[in-house]
Amino acid sequence: MNPNTAKNLIVRNAFLCAAAIVITSCGTATINKSGSDAQIESLRSFELAFIDEFAVPGKRFNVAAFNAKVNEGNAKFQQAIANEKFTARRPVLIDLKAQFDADATHLRSKASRGKITPALASEMKKDVNKIYDHALGR
Amino acid sequence: MPSAGKRKHKKPRKSELDSALGQVSDESVAAAMKEFQDLLAQAKVDTTELIRQNAEELERRLILLKKGKIDKEDFDFFVENQKRALRVFIDSQPAQAQERAEKLTLHVLEIAATKVAPLLLAMI
Repeated sequence: MNPNTAKNLIVRNAFLCAAAIVITSCGTATINKSGSDAQIESLRSFELAFIDEFAVPGKRFNVAAFNAKVNEGNAKFQQAIANEKFTARRPVLIDLKAQFDADATHLRSKASRGKITPALASEMKKDVNKIYDHALGR
Repeated sequence: MPSAGKRKHKKPRKSELDSALGQVSDESVAAAMKEFQDLLAQAKVDTTELIRQNAEELERRLILLKKGKIDKEDFDFFVENQKRALRVFIDSQPAQAQERAEKLTLHVLEIAATKVAPLLLAMI
């Protein structure tokens, strides 16, 4: 084989390999990002449903049900943080967990004293939506 | 047909919050309220959406507090939420923009929680 042809073949193959690696890693990043977005949306739905269930004016506070839901939320957030493959998202998930903790603490304090108002529930949901939108870069 | 030249310039309408804060007669308190109103007014027309949004949320919640639809505990809780969301934003700003962003957000929230909210509650 002509040495020039052989050299060209090596260069071409090296280029093709590099292109394949770049394309594959981009695809993986996109899959990770969209999976991560779906995870964040799932956590948002959970937290909004949590507020809907317990921030109800006049509703008797059920401590056992509340604790069970908080434990479920803690497990969901911890699992999401541990499983997050898109590493830049981990601090964001930690911020979202801090918001969930703050919401749970405030709701427990208010609901246990029967001091929930419609405005409290509505404003809490606005804050949740805002922080999740920021987390998703919207 | 009305002529544009004859139109009277209307003063901007006072917000519900401005009207309430305008009732303060004590001079030292009035100065703090004036500073708060000026900063809030600047924040509400800032070019950065997050600063505007923060000011609008704060004003809405002060009105809810004054109307008794939320209490001081709720108000403080929301102020902490707003601060949490803002810290990341301020840290991401260039050094020269950080001071202004902080003044129009965290500083306004601080005055609202420590001076404006107690005053509004005392008016109820």
